[in-house]
Amino acid sequence: MSGRLPTALGIAAETATGRSRRRRLGARRLGAGAVPYLLILPVVGVMGAILGYPMVNLFRISLQRYGLFELIQRHGVDVGLANFRSVLHDAVFWHTLLRTVVFTVANVGLTVVLGTLLALLLVRVSAWVRILLTAGLVLVWSMPQVVAVQVWKWMTNFQNGVLNYVLTELHVGDFFQHDWYASPFSQLSLVTALIVWEGLPFVAITVYAALSQVPKELVEAAEIDGAPGWKVFRDVTVPIITPVLLILTSLSILWDFGVFTQPYLLIGQPHVTPSNYLMGIYLFQQYYTADFGRGAAISVLMLVMVAAMSVVYVRRMVRIGEVDA
Amino acid sequence: MRSRVLVAALAVVALGVVAATASASGQRAQANKLTVWLQVDAQSGWPDVVAAATSAFQKQHPGWTVDVQYQNWGDHLQKFDATLAGGNSPDVIEMGNTEMAKYMFAGAFANLTADKSKFDNSGNWLAGLQKSAMYQGKVFGVPYYAGSRVVTYRTDMFKSAGIAKLPTSLAQFQADAKKLAAKYRKVKGFSPLYFAGEDWYFAMSFVFDYGGTIARTHAGKWVGALDSPKAIAGLTAWKNLFLASSKASKTTDENTPAPYDVYSQGRASAIIGPGWFSCCTGAKYKGVTAQFVMPSHTAGKAIPGFLGGSDLAVPVTSSNKAMAEDWIAAFTSTENEKALEAKGNIPNATNLLGTSVNERAAARSWFVPVAKHWVDVENGNILRNMLGQILTGHLTVKQAAQSASDNITSVLNQP
Repeated sequence: MSGRLPTALGIAAETATGRSRRRRLGARRLGAGAVPYLLILPVVGVMGAILGYPMVNLFRISLQRYGLFELIQRHGVDVGLANFRSVLHDAVFWHTLLRTVVFTVANVGLTVVLGTLLALLLVRVSAWVRILLTAGLVLVWSMPQVVAVQVWKWMTNFQNGVLNYVLTELHVGDFFQHDWYASPFSQLSLVTALIVWEGLPFVAITVYAALSQVPKELVEAAEIDGAPGWKVFRDVTVPIITPVLLILTSLSILWDFGVFTQPYLLIGQPHVTPSNYLMGIYLFQQYYTADFGRGAAISVLMLVMVAAMSVVYVRRMVRIGEVDA
Repeated sequence: MRSRVLVAALAVVALGVVAATASASGQRAQANKLTVWLQVDAQSGWPDVVAAATSAFQKQHPGWTVDVQYQNWGDHLQKFDATLAGGNSPDVIEMGNTEMAKYMFAGAFANLTADKSKFDNSGNWLAGLQKSAMYQGKVFGVPYYAGSRVVTYRTDMFKSAGIAKLPTSLAQFQADAKKLAAKYRKVKGFSPLYFAGEDWYFAMSFVFDYGGTIARTHAGKWVGALDSPKAIAGLTAWKNLFLASSKASKTTDENTPAPYDVYSQGRASAIIGPGWFSCCTGAKYKGVTAQFVMPSHTAGKAIPGFLGGSDLAVPVTSSNKAMAEDWIAAFTSTENEKALEAKGNIPNATNLLGTSVNERAAARSWFVPVAKHWVDVENGNILRNMLGQILTGHLTVKQAAQSASDNITSVLNQP
């Protein structure tokens, strides 16, 4: 696959530089071959500077003992793979990984399913309801993460929270001074609610766009043949929007697996403990306690995991590109 | 040909971007400017003392500006770490006395031993504070102030609940709390004595009151000691007091919400906290607010309080060490320390001590283990987590104490 891409770009470049055809053949070929590389050079350069340099540094520190002492001296002590060994032998790491996987599955599942349901609703409702709904979704989308956390914190506040007040007034039960942060499960459930709420607009609007690409004739034909609604959806609509659903799912996995802002701020630093760690927070705690070498080792491990997960996404994207070409 | 010019131009732009990002990180501290990091307590409690110190300093050194930046306890160390790496750390930093050890061990602070005489009353510094700022016989910090925890209470509420005499034992206090709860049962969410479920400073007072401790050394190693029968007795007494008298969240810390906010909303007849809490009890209750020393389970004695406090240190990365020392000297002058005392703090030297409730409470005090990794126990929320587990009933006192104790052992013995 990698061989095919430069060739295609080379052909494109050749047609672009067709005006200098009078020059000697060898030079032309050489120039034409180099142009695409020269064109992406600035991007590669910038990416190398802002991504590559820190990444190399991260790998270097992951192989060093790098604590407060080393920080002040500004250089670490090489310890080989000791940081990786210590992390992989830490039960907290494995518990956190398992918790994060469960958390990610729950979050991604809820986001994609609810988002798709919302999109289906958008197709069905009248125009003005659709406008209202879309406006609401865009508002959710445009709210900065930190602000959203503050709003949720306020709503779920123990003493004066609007959630407790409303639930009590509605006679759902006595929620006066109900503690929404009493256990790791309830803490992470609140984080899930927040993340799903924030993730819905993107999924709903994208799936809505995908649904508009489903040919009406196909749906009508299926309906005329007497297929029930859910069957039409399953056998006609879903296969057509599957590529979009797959991309949304893989993107959501990437976002939710490494999530940090929402759990850290909603749960709050004084309450993050190994019993409610997600990978992002587990990683951060290492830096918080100034164990930078170990933190870097966890970062590298997470990087590998996320890279492995994004293979699915990247392959999908490449395949779609091929179909379009 | 044109395409190559374009490529060259793009490459130049790209290099320019790289160069720009590189030079931005190399900015140097401004000349004649002193950067001071103080905790927000100073901002809310005694900004006038800070201003007085700065103007005294500026009289001594005309042309110098002092940039006081206020920090939060929750993240100031992490910010400090980042500045150590980036080379733009402050010239003076306020450190909690429990935070000093790790940084002294790592060599983060300048040695101030030779200039000790610059600071007023440096011969009489409070032992508890001085100990926290010394390592291998050298001085790495100047004691700033200390604080003990006292009970701030509503005299009117105590009176109308029929409490004629202030409690002198824990049992008596608990009985009084019952009276208060009965009297004010109509006030929603009313706490006779409000304290947060995960306020570990207060909870550990019970551990020490019952003769326990957090960790001790044995054969050169640290051993967590919260699982000892005495410590468990203390934690059990603390749990009983919470359940009988506090309607705070079982899983919140002592800062959210601030206890004085609960008090000023009329939802508590008493709160536990530093003496300076009297600042913020609300205008409505100013005339009916007083303080007393939290009683021990042994009648007539005070419960051992956490001797919290702060030191001022000069990071080794500072290029203005002499100036930084002069500012600290101005800030901790006899006059300013007396002003701090007037605000309900304990001054930094024994010759300045008075007889306030705060200073009486400090007569019996406890301090965290002076271990290199103690701050990691704090930042890892081991104690808070244990307290939350006890109160919510997820674990028994014994189970929670056992697990916290094991954690403390492993954290303190890290290399």
